[in-house]
Amino acid sequence: MERREFLQLLGIFSGAAILPGCGDDRSASKLVSYLVPPDEGVLPGEARYLPSTCCECPAGCGLTVRVREDRAVKLEGRPGHPVNDGGLCMRGQAALWRLYHPERLRHPLRRDADGQFQPVSWDEALTLVVEGLRQARQQGRANLLLSGRTTGTLAELQQHFCQQLEVEQLPQFEPFSHAALRQAYGILFAQPEVPHYRIDQSDLLLSLGADLFETFVSPVNYARQLSRAIKQDDFQWIHAEPHYSLTGANAGERLILLPGSEAALLCFLLVRLDAADERNRLPMQLMAALPASSLEETARLTGLPKRRLEQLAKQLRLAERPLLIVGGIATSQPQGLQVALLAGLLQQRLGMVGNRVDFSQAEAYASVGSLHDLERLTERLEQDQVGVLLVSATDPLVQAPAALDLKQKFQRAGLRVGLCDLFNESAQQFDLLLPLSHPLESWGDAVPRRGVFSLLKPAIAPLYDSRSAGEILLEILQRVGQQVQNQSYQEYLFNTWQQRFDQQQLQQFSEQGFLSLPVSAVPHQFRPEAVSSQLATTQAATATAPHLILTPSIRSFDGRSSCLPLLSELPDPLSTVSYGRWLSMAPTAARKLQLRDRDLVRISSGDWSAELPVRLQPGLAATVLMVQGDLLSEAPLPTDARSGELIRRLDGVRLTKLGGAVALAILSGSSSQQGRGLIPDPVHTQEQPLEQTRFYRAHPHKDYRWAMAIDLELCIGCGACAAACYVENNVPVVGQQDHLQGREMSWLRLAPFYDDAGRASFIPMLCQHCHNAPCEPVCPVYAAYHNAEGLNVQVYQRCVGTRYCSNNCPYKVRRFNWWQHQRQAPLEQMLNPDLSVRDRGVMEKCTFCVQRIRQARDRAQDEQRPIRDGEVLTACGQSCPTGAIVFGNLLDESSAVYRLAHSHRAYRVFADLGTEPSIYYLRKG
Amino acid sequence: MDQLAAREKLEQDVLKGLRRPGKWYLLGLAFCTLLFVNALVLWGYQASQGLGVAGIMHPVGWGVYIANFVFWVGIAHSGTLISAVLYLFRARFRTSFNRTAEAMTIFALMVAGMFPLIHLGRVEIFYYLLPYPNQRNLWPNFRSPLVWDVFAITTYLIVSLVFFYVGTLPDLAIVRRRMTGVRARIYSFFSLGWTGSLGQWKQYSRLYLLLAAFATPLVASVHSIVSWDFAVSILPGWHTTIFAPYFVAGAIFSGTAMVIILMVPLRRTLQLQPYISIDHFEAIAKILLFTSLIISYAYLVEYGLAFYGHNQVEMELFRYRALGHYSVLFWLMIICNSLVPLTLFIKRLRRNLAYLFVVALLVNLGMWIERFILIVTSLARDFDPYAWGTYTPSWVEIGITFGSFGLFFMLILLFVKTVPVLSMSELKERL
Repeated sequence: MERREFLQLLGIFSGAAILPGCGDDRSASKLVSYLVPPDEGVLPGEARYLPSTCCECPAGCGLTVRVREDRAVKLEGRPGHPVNDGGLCMRGQAALWRLYHPERLRHPLRRDADGQFQPVSWDEALTLVVEGLRQARQQGRANLLLSGRTTGTLAELQQHFCQQLEVEQLPQFEPFSHAALRQAYGILFAQPEVPHYRIDQSDLLLSLGADLFETFVSPVNYARQLSRAIKQDDFQWIHAEPHYSLTGANAGERLILLPGSEAALLCFLLVRLDAADERNRLPMQLMAALPASSLEETARLTGLPKRRLEQLAKQLRLAERPLLIVGGIATSQPQGLQVALLAGLLQQRLGMVGNRVDFSQAEAYASVGSLHDLERLTERLEQDQVGVLLVSATDPLVQAPAALDLKQKFQRAGLRVGLCDLFNESAQQFDLLLPLSHPLESWGDAVPRRGVFSLLKPAIAPLYDSRSAGEILLEILQRVGQQVQNQSYQEYLFNTWQQRFDQQQLQQFSEQGFLSLPVSAVPHQFRPEAVSSQLATTQAATATAPHLILTPSIRSFDGRSSCLPLLSELPDPLSTVSYGRWLSMAPTAARKLQLRDRDLVRISSGDWSAELPVRLQPGLAATVLMVQGDLLSEAPLPTDARSGELIRRLDGVRLTKLGGAVALAILSGSSSQQGRGLIPDPVHTQEQPLEQTRFYRAHPHKDYRWAMAIDLELCIGCGACAAACYVENNVPVVGQQDHLQGREMSWLRLAPFYDDAGRASFIPMLCQHCHNAPCEPVCPVYAAYHNAEGLNVQVYQRCVGTRYCSNNCPYKVRRFNWWQHQRQAPLEQMLNPDLSVRDRGVMEKCTFCVQRIRQARDRAQDEQRPIRDGEVLTACGQSCPTGAIVFGNLLDESSAVYRLAHSHRAYRVFADLGTEPSIYYLRKG
Repeated sequence: MDQLAAREKLEQDVLKGLRRPGKWYLLGLAFCTLLFVNALVLWGYQASQGLGVAGIMHPVGWGVYIANFVFWVGIAHSGTLISAVLYLFRARFRTSFNRTAEAMTIFALMVAGMFPLIHLGRVEIFYYLLPYPNQRNLWPNFRSPLVWDVFAITTYLIVSLVFFYVGTLPDLAIVRRRMTGVRARIYSFFSLGWTGSLGQWKQYSRLYLLLAAFATPLVASVHSIVSWDFAVSILPGWHTTIFAPYFVAGAIFSGTAMVIILMVPLRRTLQLQPYISIDHFEAIAKILLFTSLIISYAYLVEYGLAFYGHNQVEMELFRYRALGHYSVLFWLMIICNSLVPLTLFIKRLRRNLAYLFVVALLVNLGMWIERFILIVTSLARDFDPYAWGTYTPSWVEIGITFGSFGLFFMLILLFVKTVPVLSMSELKERL
């Protein structure tokens, strides 16, 4: 044998010996285990995009789930969806954390005699339920089903289930039930519903307390609509509220009302506007029932100047298509029902009902109850009338007002069965825990508003031995022989859909994930006679200051999302506090008490008190204190006797300075921009940047120069972009301690800057990808360099961690990995495999989603064409509910970003430093 | 004959220092070593946990570590000044201090050189900063001042080391002569066969002059380059053209103070009063006073630039330095660096060694604070007000800082026991 031959043979044999070791059948089948094999061939490394619906709040936004190798790695708003049309809020972005939450229930649990939870099989668990139901019936106790707001097929199944098994279905529980609003519309128009408000069809929006951008009914939808409305020249938006909300911060004008004076304001407007026009006058009898509301009296009650009141009435009279929205804090107060009624009257009088206040597309809140229903439940629990209590996908134990003491009384139910996803404190109050599948793991549908159907389709196989609520109910029905055996919930859903939709609609539904069906107009009859009696008590005595207002939270909604770590990591938009709870108070009021940020105070009302650190909130009325409701759930808030709505205000609270400060993670270093023109005011717009001398050659760009335009007129500071960035780019969630030390890792931050009058402007600050980047020359190892497409790139492998780049960055957008950040299993499964997880000691920053640019380039290259405008969507831009962020190629003169960058509104932050950022901001006006 | 006796006395006096150490010496050495070992442990802890154990944060990415670096490089400065520059200027009092000052330079540089490594996020790949041929075909970024630092510091260290060693050669030969056994063999090895022949002296003095001439520009260059670490950036308070002279003056200032701190106790414990006179200290004190005036002027210029420049960011920064979170430190710095040295205008104080020692201590405290203020305040308050933040050093940083002093004094103590602290050969010339 020759030497060459020998070597060849050696190669062949050793290769043959190694090859079989390369693949492991077991792990391979585990990696790609599709629930439903997709039609097209699936390639590892290729993402699939599946439709779904967000269930983090009741709004029901459409989702596109990005799935990589059987793992959902990113949620995006579904373009074209009637609710959100592509946008998604920060809670929606964070919903993935619920899917991969380390505390998720992994199998059914049953409490044994010692009070310990023991795993049981589904079979045993469901037998226990069936048995429990039977026993309770025999004992003459009522079996109850309490769920959160449920729509679509599952709601029908619930009804069916309750009928068949003689289970009483309680009205659905939602902390933000909009009960006063619905009751008022019920009285006025026989429509006990939340109508769909068509903001984009109005030319004047007057919103009263309704937190349109935070939690009110459908925030992303309103943000989308408002962005469309703002683009019209003649649109005006006035927001009136006693406290300070993100919505108020973004309104064209924010009127600060004295707490509890909304009714007086509406009364005044109603009388004025009714008198102004002879046609369509409201009945005399009704107007007579209204309390006298002179200009002086209204000015005194509301705290608004007389001129402004007159002008407001005039604006409303002159507007062609006015729209009034009340809600939120305005209806969660002792006079909430009157406010809603007066608003309804005003809507009727100004001709909004039927068009801009649209009941035909009502927001499907009819089956939601109010706190009265919970009160009734506690009474029944006290009287030991409750047998099996099934609680499905809602958390009344935490979210019911403290005054109800539900947690204590809850123990009186015979068998407490919880259908929950997380094994948290309230889950541990149950006797039997049935783990719920995450919406991304289950089949289903949702009807967020009339005529809109949104599909839930499993994006991934269930991670654990969990089932969806529909599956559980169906199986119980099957066990008692009330339903076809062996029919899965999926089949049940398919049958329902087949009956409801025709073939074409069905196909559309499955392909695009949603369906908009034409809805029949709902005849609304105006019934003024029913109102008079309700309005008699409108004029209430002014409440005593200071007032504590418990606001909804954009981050945790009603508190349900506070378990998602990302939402604690993201700062509250107005106060920029991330971790911990705080009391917002006006700087003037704080100065009187010599309080500064983080100083500890005690707030008390009656025999209840709480200790909180202070955070100064510019623009807040001096008599108002503000806490986010879910952070102070133990506050003794009363329930409105008429509407059953929670009264989110405590009057005459006492505030005591305790001395000393506590650590509170306030991310903002200054609430003022110190006149530096990050967001230009008129002074800055006149300044011309200096002519720059350049010592180095300009970077050449051949085909692409990536750039971004951010329209500050559209940016509402909601933080959805920052949340999307976290998920897309594997940005670590670092926790409270690091936040206290100023070590948050967010690549994108939203800086609220307040002017002297307390008006807020928001600016998203991310890597500016400067043409003359200060970070690049100072890096000793070329970890920061400029690439051929205008990106300022950071090579993690190369970075030695001198942090000079961060020091030299005037925008301070670089983030250093102070630790090896850990991700608690199974959270590592949501990592985006398209980019690396950074090691400790390495600098990182916004990359303009370079992985997405890469994908688009690959796609374009396959099709032998240049990348199209709009083909690359950064994660922030994709998520933005108002479409404020536009990304594209600055060399392409037909691109949207080119047009915006050359707009007369365009400017660049710190232009006089000569860094030449690739991000163009568009100033307001 | 007198001269011979005087020489003998000189050798005996100076070499007294090399005798078996006493209790206090050993205690001091143990304490310094303990501080250093503690710092090593803390560094190990930091390396295993990540830089998060230090107090540095966003936006203050550089803190105590870099302040220490600049401080120790500054300390390293006076050695060359006293040795080389004064040698060229034929300043006689130099002879009293030059050996210690040169040793101080080398030790301070060694200490300083640790800090860029300590502050690195990934110290395990520090060699990316060095220009060496590699398969990635990638050089370091020569536009980065941090790379200039690498060159400046290594050049300075090498030149100083050679200068120091060459200067000690004749003395090592003397020690060799007076020692027996193993020690004699060690000194014999290091004295490189020095016999003191006329030919050797001729070569020697030419080399020494050459090295002095070579080291002199480094006095200006090294600390100028260190100052460019800051001046090249765009930060308010850093980006300024006066930094190079300002830093050089500051370095000489603190280095001179350190020489006083070392020499006053040395003179006392080793009974070197006959060789180091009060006049010599007075000469050094004048340098201290002069450089203090220069840096006081630099402080004024900085404020003047901020005020007349009318740059909002710059003005806010300098307001913040004087009145913000670190204002106590700022005023302490002004007292230590600008006010206290002014008392040296009084001759009586200048010649009072105890007083001079205290002033030197305060000056070094002030100069350390100056570096801290300069680095931290500029980072804490730069352009975007949202990103403002305050920095507090952690116990790891403080421990490592003390450890650096431990290392420095440990090396000095070892030096005192191994090398003659005065240049005997030069002193002999003066006899």
